[in-house]
Amino acid sequence: MISYIGKRLLAIVPIILFAILITFVLIHVSPVDPAEAYLTAAHIHPTEELLAEKRHEFGLDQPLLVQYWHTVVKMAQLDFGLSFMTNEPVWEDVVSKMPATVQLAVSSILFAMLVSIPLGFLSAIYKNSVIDYFSRGLSYFGASIPQFWLGYLLMFFFAVKLDLLPVEGKGTWEHLVLPTLTLSLALIAIYTRLLRASVLEQLQESYVIYAKTRGIKQRIIMVKHVLKIAISPVITGLGMNFGKLLTGTIIVEQVFSWPGFGRYFVDAIFNRDIPVIQCYVFLAACLFIICNLIVDLVQLYMDPRISLKGRTDQ
Amino acid sequence: MIRTTKKTLLSIAATIFLVSTVLMACTKQEAAPSASNGTAENAAVTTEKAITLSWPRDIGTMNPHTYNPSQLFAQSMIYEPLVSYKAGGKLEPMLAESWTISEDGKEYTFKLRQNVKFSDGTSFNAAIVKKNFDAVMKNPNLHSWLGVINVLDKTEAVDEYTFKMTLKQAYYPAIQDLSLVRPVRFLGEAGFPDDGDTSKGIKKPVGTGPWLLVEYKKDEYAVFTRNPNYWGESPKIDKITVKIIPDPETRVLAFEKGDLDLIYGEGVISMDAFKQLKESGKYTTQLSEPVATRSLLLNTTNDKLSDLRVRLALQSGFNKQAMVEGITLGLEEKADTILSKNFPYTDIDVQPVAYNTDQATAYLDEAGWKLSAGKAVREKDGQALELELIFDKTDPIQKAMAETMQAEWSAIGVKLNITGLELTTQIERRKAGNYDLDFWSNYGAPYDPHSFINVVAEKGWGVAEANAGLPMKQELDQQIHEVLSSTDETKRQQLYSSILLTLQEQSAIVPISYIKKTVVFQNKVTDFAFPANRDENPFEGINISQ
Repeated sequence: MISYIGKRLLAIVPIILFAILITFVLIHVSPVDPAEAYLTAAHIHPTEELLAEKRHEFGLDQPLLVQYWHTVVKMAQLDFGLSFMTNEPVWEDVVSKMPATVQLAVSSILFAMLVSIPLGFLSAIYKNSVIDYFSRGLSYFGASIPQFWLGYLLMFFFAVKLDLLPVEGKGTWEHLVLPTLTLSLALIAIYTRLLRASVLEQLQESYVIYAKTRGIKQRIIMVKHVLKIAISPVITGLGMNFGKLLTGTIIVEQVFSWPGFGRYFVDAIFNRDIPVIQCYVFLAACLFIICNLIVDLVQLYMDPRISLKGRTDQ
Repeated sequence: MIRTTKKTLLSIAATIFLVSTVLMACTKQEAAPSASNGTAENAAVTTEKAITLSWPRDIGTMNPHTYNPSQLFAQSMIYEPLVSYKAGGKLEPMLAESWTISEDGKEYTFKLRQNVKFSDGTSFNAAIVKKNFDAVMKNPNLHSWLGVINVLDKTEAVDEYTFKMTLKQAYYPAIQDLSLVRPVRFLGEAGFPDDGDTSKGIKKPVGTGPWLLVEYKKDEYAVFTRNPNYWGESPKIDKITVKIIPDPETRVLAFEKGDLDLIYGEGVISMDAFKQLKESGKYTTQLSEPVATRSLLLNTTNDKLSDLRVRLALQSGFNKQAMVEGITLGLEEKADTILSKNFPYTDIDVQPVAYNTDQATAYLDEAGWKLSAGKAVREKDGQALELELIFDKTDPIQKAMAETMQAEWSAIGVKLNITGLELTTQIERRKAGNYDLDFWSNYGAPYDPHSFINVVAEKGWGVAEANAGLPMKQELDQQIHEVLSSTDETKRQQLYSSILLTLQEQSAIVPISYIKKTVVFQNKVTDFAFPANRDENPFEGINISQ
């Protein structure tokens, strides 16, 4: 087990190097000169003299290979340089903004699980019943509605019209409700349908019929056997979505003025804040790899048929 | 195995729950002060006059000598200039009580106000003025866009309350440049870093202005209260909370909920939202005087556009009034002159180019661009009259205007290709002269009109490049250099009139509309007036009816 985890962690290195290379290449083929982007962001008129000075400062006058190597070495030390916009170390900015995003992602995942697991399970058991139709409707709605619009709708009804919750900002648990609902609805849509299909599939399996003939109670068969196996694809989805949420709460953070990493990144894109963009790609790659690893380990515990050997051979 | 799995799942769920709870608990005490919360909490104990407004970006580091991310309106709450820019371009004493200019226009002597203290109680005097100028001049490159910095030779603290500035050459807008929000405003001694180089950061924001920054949470909010040491008339309100709300629609919803008392600025809410709030009748809405002109730059170095008749045909070939009303819903006003008349030296008589498609087609026929039977686009020597208009693709007004012009000009036989670009690419192409037509706007008060004429003459900004094909360009540049160094007021007016008339007649910069600031506020807010300086804060005189 430890060697498996070790191997998977080691595999992060080439992937990260590749991710850095891709960002590096994209930045260099982009028509926007980072030195010019910096000066424009700082509202300083980019004269040729100043541009040359900044290019030298950023090391952009060095050969490409040297620049790439410097980028990699710096990133290994978690040194992402200074943000063009705030003129402060990017890593410090990210560290200060990450907790807000983690909080939003965790609460959204948690809420999505709380709703979708019972809903998906029940809609499979009571197929074509009212609860099944309800979950189908909710999934359809959740999957098709744009998140920013849902955010505005919730804000309008719950904050402006009913005056129950705050419109925006961060602070109390009340501030967390609307962004969590907005983010989790799309997840609920996916997990509910995923679990429903998976449970229905399991119900056709011979072990269910065998258990029934052995006289095991329906409730025990469903919870201990069917749900345990059927939940596997949901866990995979969960892992993938956690990474996605940590890096992709951009729209919701923007709409609800949630001071997280997503909003910081949106600003960076608009302002061509290259150090921030590089840090984002680096973090996104790391997060996805780690989330994948965690999902695999959980799956391993959940389903003993998945062997470590099989996994590593694939 | 089942038992292990169950345990693992339980522990994962418990960990997630715990982390979430801890995170929530950690942030529970950090609730941003809001208008409604603040009012409810404080109503019983105090009658504090407070307003809450929103701003799209964090207020920044509040360094008076640097630019982004510090927001101009907030910098102007804390720091003050030597002279203040008022309506109509009038320059009034601020931290300088009076000033004299030597006959050759090179020496400026300022008599400083004596009763001024910084917010920490230290005195404002000539030594600290010099120290601030020195800090700015440590990095002249950063400020080379500003005329007065380029010509500044030396500064002296003559005595405790006399400060002298010597220029390398006469430059009449020097005083006007000193009224800007940055980079020449004054930081108190306690704010300076040990090496005196403020370009790397300051210790704390200590200014002489009417406001103090008392609470700040990056990207969330900033709270300002009255500066108890303020030398001038103290503000009527006690507290201003600035909430950072990046999304315009959210800003509107927060305002409708009553969390915000004021939404102020340029383009801070959509035009639809402004109209809807105005028509609801529940709030007060106001539009400022023009702050700048939205114009079209016609690249005269292009063969087709080098012909004045083609430029005039384009200008008279679209219905400006209908376009501005339709696209900006009346938030902008049709512009007939390149600079609006509320700037110094700009109140001159010019003949606006009227909307007249017959006249437009006549100009084109006269210029040799003929419309052959069965063709939609005019041709001359086998070449089609086809032009490219570049615009910022994130700007909905530019996009809608580009599409309107495309339709309008096709009716007079001009094919307009419109290309949406990212802002940085648009600026790059403008500077390289790599376009036919482009949107542009001037800088507003207190930068204009001198900054405007400067970019007409000086390369590097894209405007001089666009005008390079004008037959009288050299003469124009000479007049511009002359006016900037002229010490004679009458002569300056004459030169400005001549420059602006020539530009107007040449139709290489086509005025479209006057951009205005908007404000929406709850009815309890009174005495709101837009600042004359585009970048200043609007809190002078503002009050609240209890």
